[in-house]
Amino acid sequence: MNFCAILLLFALTTPSWGKDLEAFPNLNLNNHRSVQEATRVLEEELKLAARPHTYVLIDLVGNTIHIKGRGVELHHMPIAQWSVGSWEKLTGIHRLVARPQVVRRKIEPGKGDEQEPISLADMPTDYDLSFSSGLTINVAPLAAKDNLVQAITFMGKFWWRRLKNWTSMIGTDQPSTSAAPLEVTVSVDHAQSLAWSLVDGMAVLIRRAADQ
Amino acid sequence: MGRVFLACAAVTFLLVLIATAPDTRPVISASSQVVHRPVAQDGPGLRALQARYKTLSKQLFQLKPTQPYILVDTARNRLYVKHQGEVVLDAIASTGSGTILDKPGDDSSQWIFDTPRGEFLVQSKLTKPTWIKPDWAFIEEGLGLPKNAAERAEQGVLGDYALGFGKGYFIHGTLYTRLLGKNVTHGCIRLNDTDLKGVYTLARVGTPIMIF
Repeated sequence: MNFCAILLLFALTTPSWGKDLEAFPNLNLNNHRSVQEATRVLEEELKLAARPHTYVLIDLVGNTIHIKGRGVELHHMPIAQWSVGSWEKLTGIHRLVARPQVVRRKIEPGKGDEQEPISLADMPTDYDLSFSSGLTINVAPLAAKDNLVQAITFMGKFWWRRLKNWTSMIGTDQPSTSAAPLEVTVSVDHAQSLAWSLVDGMAVLIRRAADQ
Repeated sequence: MGRVFLACAAVTFLLVLIATAPDTRPVISASSQVVHRPVAQDGPGLRALQARYKTLSKQLFQLKPTQPYILVDTARNRLYVKHQGEVVLDAIASTGSGTILDKPGDDSSQWIFDTPRGEFLVQSKLTKPTWIKPDWAFIEEGLGLPKNAAERAEQGVLGDYALGFGKGYFIHGTLYTRLLGKNVTHGCIRLNDTDLKGVYTLARVGTPIMIF
């Protein structure tokens, strides 16, 4: 009886392999491709998490953009939809060359508190992120369902990009090199939040969708 | 009539071509069920991969801070003290305004009042701190730089405590509590007296500060 109690206590107190220890709780451990991809991403993430810098993980399986540091999730943003032009270009660690342009207000000496500070609303919503690896990620805002103008603009941009991509493929039968290999659509707030959180040289990792 | 018909036929043809073009960019919504096969099938066996995945997950888990750490969200002006995933303290803060100020006599140089992003450590813990006003504080006010260093010292403006995290940046108190929740500082992180005391009590020299 006592032995059973000790065994139960031991089982409860011993740190076991649980979901909280898993880097990707949504991973299907029985899917070879999924585990292979998760392992590849983890190998890269460990290099980043070992250093005192924040980094971004774009998880195309969990449809989430994570801002992380030391393996800890600092913030996350859901992805509404995404499209991939070139899977091969998404592997590895990508360093952001320049963050989206922001118009900063200049302080006029002697004018006290009159200068308006920068805020999330000043951040761009539709922008390209360029990386030293040559990767480009296009971040687009999701059109509000109740805003017809926004919806038309969003659809227009979407079809324009698709038309450009398609016309550049004519004759070459190769994916366009000018189009972004990855396009992610997030809400307006999250597009601005991401633009805010990025810093020059920031590392970005992408977990590709091996299955859905 | 014939021209209208021809125009309609051309537009229809174009739309059909676009829609049926060999699209390498499947658009995936967060809930879609499209199957992807981008990851190579070759590689180690599933069991070996699972074991590798679990080992890497554990390694990533071990990199997470075991002691309390400070998390600062500069976009939403919040400061948290977290310990093992739990929020121990949640405070409204003020962070960098993102404004710029030209350095006098140097056309190409300016101060940018951002709160730095990334991972830092608490380097110092001060009680009753004195603010040593830097050059920008005088220039912003339209004043000349003092010749005597003692003229830079200002008591009582930083609150009862200050936690330094390098390069002149501090977590400190404020006289302007009505501005908490806004991006108004020159890069430091301001808190009200109660929250400042809480952070001062929870943090030690060496406590990580993650800022995004």
